[in-house]
Amino acid sequence: MIRTTPVRPTPWDGQPYSIKRHGVTITNCDSEPVQTPGCVQAHGAMLVLRPADLTVLQASENTDRLLGHRADTLLNKSVQVAIGSDGEARLKAFFATEPTDRNPLYAFTLPPRNDVPPLDVTAHTVDGVAVVEFEATGRTEAGEPDYYALVKKTVTRLQSAKTLQQFCDLTSDEFRTLTGLDRVVIYKFHADGHGEVFAESKRADLDPWLGLHYPAGDIPEPAREVFKQIWVRPTPDVAGELAELVPLTNPDTGRPLTMTHCALRGASVMYTEYLENMKVTAGLTMPIRRDGELWGLIACHHYAGPKHVPYQVRAACEFLAQVVSLQYQAAEEREHLVYRLKLDGTHQQLLAQAARDGGLASMTEGRPSLLDGMAAGGAALYHHDRWWRVGTTPSEAQLDALGEWLNDRPEFASPTRPLYATDSLAQQCPPAAAFTDVASGLVAVPLSRLNRNWMLWFRPETIQTVNWGGNPHEKPTVPGPHGPRLTPRRSFELFQESVRGRSLPWLAVELDAVARLRMLVMELVVSRAERLADLNADLTHSNEQLDAFNYVASHDLKEPLRGIHKYAHQLLEDAVIVDQDHRRKLSGLMRLALRMDSLLDSLLHFSRVGRVALVTEWTDLNEVVAESIEMVDARRSEGPPEIVVPRPLPHALCDRVWCREIFVNLLSNALKYNDKPQKRVEVGFIAPDEDHSRSGCPEGSAGHTIYYMRDNGIGIPARHFEQIFKMFKRLHGRDDYGGGTGAGLTIVQKLIERHHGRVWLDSTVAEGTTFYFTLQGRVGT
Amino acid sequence: MPVTRQTPFVLVIVEDSDEDFDTVQEAVDRAGFPVEVFRAATGGDGLTVLRAQAPNRPTLVLMDLNTCGVDGREALAAIKVDPALKCVPVVVLSTSANPKDIGFCYAAGANAYHVKPVRHPDHVRVLVDLLTYWMSRAVLPSGERTADEK
Repeated sequence: MIRTTPVRPTPWDGQPYSIKRHGVTITNCDSEPVQTPGCVQAHGAMLVLRPADLTVLQASENTDRLLGHRADTLLNKSVQVAIGSDGEARLKAFFATEPTDRNPLYAFTLPPRNDVPPLDVTAHTVDGVAVVEFEATGRTEAGEPDYYALVKKTVTRLQSAKTLQQFCDLTSDEFRTLTGLDRVVIYKFHADGHGEVFAESKRADLDPWLGLHYPAGDIPEPAREVFKQIWVRPTPDVAGELAELVPLTNPDTGRPLTMTHCALRGASVMYTEYLENMKVTAGLTMPIRRDGELWGLIACHHYAGPKHVPYQVRAACEFLAQVVSLQYQAAEEREHLVYRLKLDGTHQQLLAQAARDGGLASMTEGRPSLLDGMAAGGAALYHHDRWWRVGTTPSEAQLDALGEWLNDRPEFASPTRPLYATDSLAQQCPPAAAFTDVASGLVAVPLSRLNRNWMLWFRPETIQTVNWGGNPHEKPTVPGPHGPRLTPRRSFELFQESVRGRSLPWLAVELDAVARLRMLVMELVVSRAERLADLNADLTHSNEQLDAFNYVASHDLKEPLRGIHKYAHQLLEDAVIVDQDHRRKLSGLMRLALRMDSLLDSLLHFSRVGRVALVTEWTDLNEVVAESIEMVDARRSEGPPEIVVPRPLPHALCDRVWCREIFVNLLSNALKYNDKPQKRVEVGFIAPDEDHSRSGCPEGSAGHTIYYMRDNGIGIPARHFEQIFKMFKRLHGRDDYGGGTGAGLTIVQKLIERHHGRVWLDSTVAEGTTFYFTLQGRVGT
Repeated sequence: MPVTRQTPFVLVIVEDSDEDFDTVQEAVDRAGFPVEVFRAATGGDGLTVLRAQAPNRPTLVLMDLNTCGVDGREALAAIKVDPALKCVPVVVLSTSANPKDIGFCYAAGANAYHVKPVRHPDHVRVLVDLLTYWMSRAVLPSGERTADEK
């Protein structure tokens, strides 16, 4: 609804307002003077008195029917004329003793006279006048129910409600029982003012309204103001007549009567028209208030004609509405606590999961995900230079732009709570208009300022998610009696307007949980970064130590070796030493020095193999094998071996140089540990789609090409299969089979591991050995 | 092929190991060139000796890399940026076969790099070969003709 300023001229400008005279001219709810309607509902009568002498200043025009005197005959007369001297005396006593200011209270019951039934008299004072209202008591011969007992039972039931929903469901049931009306709905206002039917109790044959949403304008601002001041609002006959006050203004002050607190206050034309559009014939409404704010309404509707709810029942309703308001707050706090605990619990799980998996990726990919920790349509995380998305989110390109936009938000400058939340993103970030359907609502928290890492949740446009009251696709446009004012169609259009580009708002409890989650994630990220930094420092340190060790090995250990060898050599050269035993020992000294030298070389080489970066590229293994054969052959002095490659080898992703070393080492072993007259070596492969079973391949090798080298050598007993890969482990005498340091297979294993591959073997003593390996190199270095 | 020569070759040796220096001496003797040997035990001393000998136009520097104090790397780098010294050939002798060391030395301007073998006869042979090369094959920057060409 469009708000107008109070200075805007009205059709009744200059004259006192009366619904009867001016109601049809109203086009705008928010301009209707609902508190000074100038009319009462005609089922009751009203007298406005001067408090000092109880003289009638104004009377409703229907007093003749209810009090037996025409209004004009009562003016300037004592109230005694209308209610008798007994009545006057009781009224006087009532005003003298009761707190009546803006507080209508039951005063007494006027006995039946002529054909007029007994009337309940309620009275209050406002703006210096006394207002007396007369209504039928509604009492029957059967007597009154025990309202006290009824209400007490209701209160006890409400206290047992575990959730807000349960609480509201109970409330609607209790009010229906109490009032006997056909439908009771608990109408809840959202932060944007629009309403939702949150709970409902109804006659079985009526269409349910539960879950429907209504535009804010359906309950205009002036009506909401009234409900902040009164506890009950009866409309016993929606189509009923109105009775105007005579005269319309107070003759003493010239002001219209403020009817805010009057039970008989003439209903707003907008309200009655709206009710009529919904086929409601009688209504009773109570507010649910919280800290002086209107949280919602308890709206009771009747469809079977007029329904007068007598003062006694209304009083019970009023009391119950106050109890509900108080208990509601407690119920909501309980529910928020439960929701908060649920959110925090999920967030703790998320964190534990992320800590265990070693990354935030699990927050979008795991169970639970960020989405389980928040009532949202989607969530996204920017981390490690990419978006991680779950649920319904904008596209990555849109997220990129959103991230850029978020960078400049002043909210993130807050050192304590850098958090941005909106339920109408497109209003602040126009490009977001492209994805209001998935992200009208946004909560964003930064995980780091510099790296522009974000944690985001999205909520769709409300219109996508809610049922609205009176679907225009099902009902044709129905103009009301006064034109298209509050018809369902109009209502929906207004609603659409009011919720376009908006999501349901974020609850404080949700934002608090997000802020806490952010802190926890930051702690995790920081602790991981610290641990990584520590590990890196450790690694750098140990690499440096290894380098230092290499120098010790290469220089400081070798230098004395050279000296030892030199002196032994010189002594041996010296003619003085002729004793053969001495000469043999000197030769041994020299041999040991040289052996030590080659062990040091192997150790150095092995450490290099472990640390030097691989340069992996697609490599033709046929070339690598050809080069290896050449290198091994060059070292050989015996008869030529038979080296067979049954079918061309595939290309492999590996470091060519190191891969050649693998083949050289395996090939030289195959030839070295071989006592056959005709040495034979076969180099081949098993493709990923071929039968791997024969190779006895270990776990993790399936799906990869397996290379093998098979010889007809001396073989290796199975119990040594593991030992042979150990540094400097030799199965044979130092000088048997051409000697060697015993580092070859250790280096082969290391090189294959560096290619993320595996090496294993199969061997039969005296028949030969087959070495298998996989190369699972990755692109790059 | 001992050759007589008016002025001996000036050889500056940076070597902290007495055994290794002794081996160089053995190789010098065996190579048979008239050589005046100056020894320094650290790279820093080597620079001092070399600067002192600059007027005598040193023929060759044999540089051990890992000495205490200012080490061979620093001395090498200092020689190669010193206009008065940078023409003097520097041959690095090291125990290290680490590609990092080798790369560093050539980048710093070393004229050759040799790994000292542990086996004594090999060690002597490497030294004799390189002395023979520099003193009889290579043309030295001083412009004087090598022994062979005389």
